[in-house]
Amino acid sequence: MAQILSYLQAHAKVLKWVFFAYLLGTLLFDFLVERHHPHFWGDSVIGFWAIFSIFGCLGMIVFCKGLSHVWLAQREDFYDSEDSDNDE
Amino acid sequence: MMSSTIFLHPASYFILGALLLPIFARFKMQKVILLAVPLLAFWQIHALPESFGVCHFMGFELVFGKVDKLTYVFLHVFTLMALIGAIYCLHVKETGHHIAAFLYVAGSLGTTLAGDYLTIFIFWELMAFASTFLIWYRKRKRSIEAGYRYLLVHTAGGLILLAGIFLRYQNCHDLSFTQIAVDGATTADYLIMIGFMLNAAVPPIHAWLPDAYPEATVTGAVFMCAFTTKTAVYVLARAFPGFEMLAIMGAIMTLYGVGYAVIENDARRILAYHIVSQVGYMVCGIGIGTAMAVNGACAHAYAHILYKALLFMGVGAVLEMTGKSKLNELGGLYKRMPWAMIFTVIGGVAISGFPLTSGFISKSMIIAAAGENHRLILMIMLSLAAVGTFLSVGIKLPYFVWFGKDSGVEAREAPWNMNAAMVIAAFMCIFLGVYPEYLYRMLPFPVHYHPYTLYHLSETLQILGFTGLGFYLMVNYLHPEPKCNLDVDWFYRKGALVFMWVASKPISIANDWIGEVYRTVGLRFTKAVARALSWFDWEGIDWAVDGSARGVVKGGDKMRTLQTGKIQHYVGGAVAALMIVLLLVVFL
Repeated sequence: MAQILSYLQAHAKVLKWVFFAYLLGTLLFDFLVERHHPHFWGDSVIGFWAIFSIFGCLGMIVFCKGLSHVWLAQREDFYDSEDSDNDE
Repeated sequence: MMSSTIFLHPASYFILGALLLPIFARFKMQKVILLAVPLLAFWQIHALPESFGVCHFMGFELVFGKVDKLTYVFLHVFTLMALIGAIYCLHVKETGHHIAAFLYVAGSLGTTLAGDYLTIFIFWELMAFASTFLIWYRKRKRSIEAGYRYLLVHTAGGLILLAGIFLRYQNCHDLSFTQIAVDGATTADYLIMIGFMLNAAVPPIHAWLPDAYPEATVTGAVFMCAFTTKTAVYVLARAFPGFEMLAIMGAIMTLYGVGYAVIENDARRILAYHIVSQVGYMVCGIGIGTAMAVNGACAHAYAHILYKALLFMGVGAVLEMTGKSKLNELGGLYKRMPWAMIFTVIGGVAISGFPLTSGFISKSMIIAAAGENHRLILMIMLSLAAVGTFLSVGIKLPYFVWFGKDSGVEAREAPWNMNAAMVIAAFMCIFLGVYPEYLYRMLPFPVHYHPYTLYHLSETLQILGFTGLGFYLMVNYLHPEPKCNLDVDWFYRKGALVFMWVASKPISIANDWIGEVYRTVGLRFTKAVARALSWFDWEGIDWAVDGSARGVVKGGDKMRTLQTGKIQHYVGGAVAALMIVLLLVVFL
């Protein structure tokens, strides 16, 4: 198992192209699929979920990481240090 | 309750097992009990009658067992999970840890089977109390503190629930636990709902979960991730289907939890935040309230318990073997722990909803129910959370633990029993995906949903593929950082510090000052009074005032030592007060 993975890691370039081929494949597949009960307009747009997830994913990363950097992230001992002050 | 019905109740097996564990441990036969009890319970739930264990107590009707399809599906997964959890912690030597886990499971099963609010409350508190020990057994300073916070928050939630139960009893003198109509809901019902929502970790009362679970023991976290929140999902599904508030809060939860999962660094904290997200799907499904949505919530609870436990077991195995759970300290472990890697990846794949895994057949049911009810915004929010799920738990977590840059951390394969438990959970994740009818047959309503349509397949493949592309593009930006992210627990963690400061500085100064004043002025005064009284006594007026002066002095001293400033005393006091209130309710 580990050897297979090491082999794959060594051939990351091939893997990358396989991945891109897969992405293209999902889009082509979407052309062929019949839509019986579209829940809303997006369901009848070809490739809608591809666009949705790439922008959703990038948006989420930028928003969450950004918020973390600007506001939420503190030192790891943020709560501890105050405690030890209090213990004194 | 008659003795024959006691042994119908699966929770009594766990309570009895907990009592027997110390005896069996003395003869080194602990493992027999650990395996036998969950197996017995798993078998026993098939033989439960519709109603049992009804007893009249001080004018209340306590119903310990009420079974229908909704109960059954939760009992099924709870007992199965108890078995998996027991196998996972077979190697743990501390009997107390096993007792806590068993009582915790008993609390969860008791709540699930309860037919009235008083019974629910008793088992509810047992669950909170027992699970606290699963945190404390880690025995680190952080865990002790987190355990106290966990207990305090759950005591507060329990009190809100109890207040709702009291009000409800005053309003309608009926404590039977049944569905509450949306139009007829009163303040009492909303208080009960808030009590339930606290255990379901609905923001803003969710912070106890990501605070406590990462500090629990390796094996304790596996139990905790399954029972508390899903028991809350069960009681919400029983009492509050169709409440719009739940639909909206649930959808917010899915995004809130997943957002934190994207930025967190500790593997178990990522998973804990992700519980908030996943329970959000269930809460949302219950809020939508249609047959399909409630079915979806139950199916998702079933599937979620298994794959989330699998993930907790996988990163738990890493923590057990390496002592590390932070992503920035891990990486490249696939060479040293390949089995744990395979199982964790299966868990991650299942939680992301790959075709042929349990996530594909459960999560989509809730999203489809939202779609069929034309709840477009809910549906988009849930779909976006699915993107975040794959990003955070499906790719980020496995990548930075197993692949990525090799950290050079020493590691060996986990003990056989840990791997065995992971095999069972991993098997179930795939089995449910391949053969969804097994789960669908257990659901409370007839299922008219087919997950394997071409369109659903196409939609899922696109979402997974292009989320993967997003990760590929941003992998450097996503690098884990050793940081602590603020959440609403800030209010009570820092608030408690302010409280402790006020208690320790101004109040304590005032206390000392008053004590000083008392010593110099009051003591002299009481002594003078005592002299006067003794003189009075001496003079022959034989009243019952003899000794009262000493009483005053003693009383004053007692008052000064009453405030110890130790939080465990306050917690103990609060729990004792709770028990007294409970006893009064039961006996009056």
